[in-house]
Amino acid sequence: MNPKLAHLLVCLYPRPWRERYGAEFEALLQTGGSGLRASANVVWSALSERLFPTSELQMEQSQFQSWCVRAPWAMFGLAPLFLLVGAYFVACLILWSGWKVFLPGTSTPFVPVDGFAVLYFGAGRWLYYLAPILIGWGIGFTAARQRLTAIWPTVGLVLVAWIGGFSRVHASRPAVPGRVGHISMDLALGPSVQGISHGLFRALLIFSLTILPYVILRLQKAHSLSP
Amino acid sequence: MRSTQNVVAAEEVARLGHYSDPPMLVLASLANGPKHGHAMIEDIVRLCGTRLGPGTLYGAIARLEQQGWIEPLPPEERRRPYRITAAGVRVLRAKLTTLWQFAKAGLERLEA
Repeated sequence: MNPKLAHLLVCLYPRPWRERYGAEFEALLQTGGSGLRASANVVWSALSERLFPTSELQMEQSQFQSWCVRAPWAMFGLAPLFLLVGAYFVACLILWSGWKVFLPGTSTPFVPVDGFAVLYFGAGRWLYYLAPILIGWGIGFTAARQRLTAIWPTVGLVLVAWIGGFSRVHASRPAVPGRVGHISMDLALGPSVQGISHGLFRALLIFSLTILPYVILRLQKAHSLSP
Repeated sequence: MRSTQNVVAAEEVARLGHYSDPPMLVLASLANGPKHGHAMIEDIVRLCGTRLGPGTLYGAIARLEQQGWIEPLPPEERRRPYRITAAGVRVLRAKLTTLWQFAKAGLERLEA
């Protein structure tokens, strides 16, 4: 394997692991670990080592771990909430600025667009839809890595799924023709049964997608610990 | 067509027949003397046909060392050999004995 690639792959491992095994592992990769399959194997193993570090090498993550234990409500409740609010704010900002730049004079930004505007609005849309899922995965990875009980991660995932499922973006018409209107969000359940069921469906979908990696990682951990 | 199917079936059987328990493979490889990583990979291929990826190998090495079943020797240039400990030998013997009893019983049932 190319020495630079070998060095890069070794860098994927946590620092204490690299300090202990880095030199010999890099030598092994340079002499015998060629091919895409070997590289993929190293990437996967490095990810596993980051998620489930070999306990003697368990790294100065005690501070982080203690936060997860001492204040799980903050780590799995408030932090995801702030992250989600931040992501939604950026998504709304993209929508508002795109409306102002690409669609001046229209009464709503939710109209067909073309050219660069597709990419611009698309980025906001992706952020809006993916933020709850990515944050949920973050909760799952953190909880699995810290080997915490399932209560707080589940609370965090339900919260994120609920907000992701029921949040709505509204665009209000500009008061003065030719000016840009306002973008706002709410968490209203909606007046109709259809609206509630749609929100519930989205919330359940987000919850299922986000809890899946947590369950897989816990099962994998249980499997790797068995003799 | 038939011969192609036979070849594919034979390859499938060979693939399914590979034993894949990295920590045990590493212990078995070290049972006849210390080895470094690359030598272990090649030895395990000869032993049972399974080629461990480098990441899988070092994942197993780290955990075996943590459990005290193998120990590192002084490095030779950049490569570091490992050897099996007395505890590792006991674990390997127990595991292989169980596997042997299991394999024997299973094969007897197939032949009955």
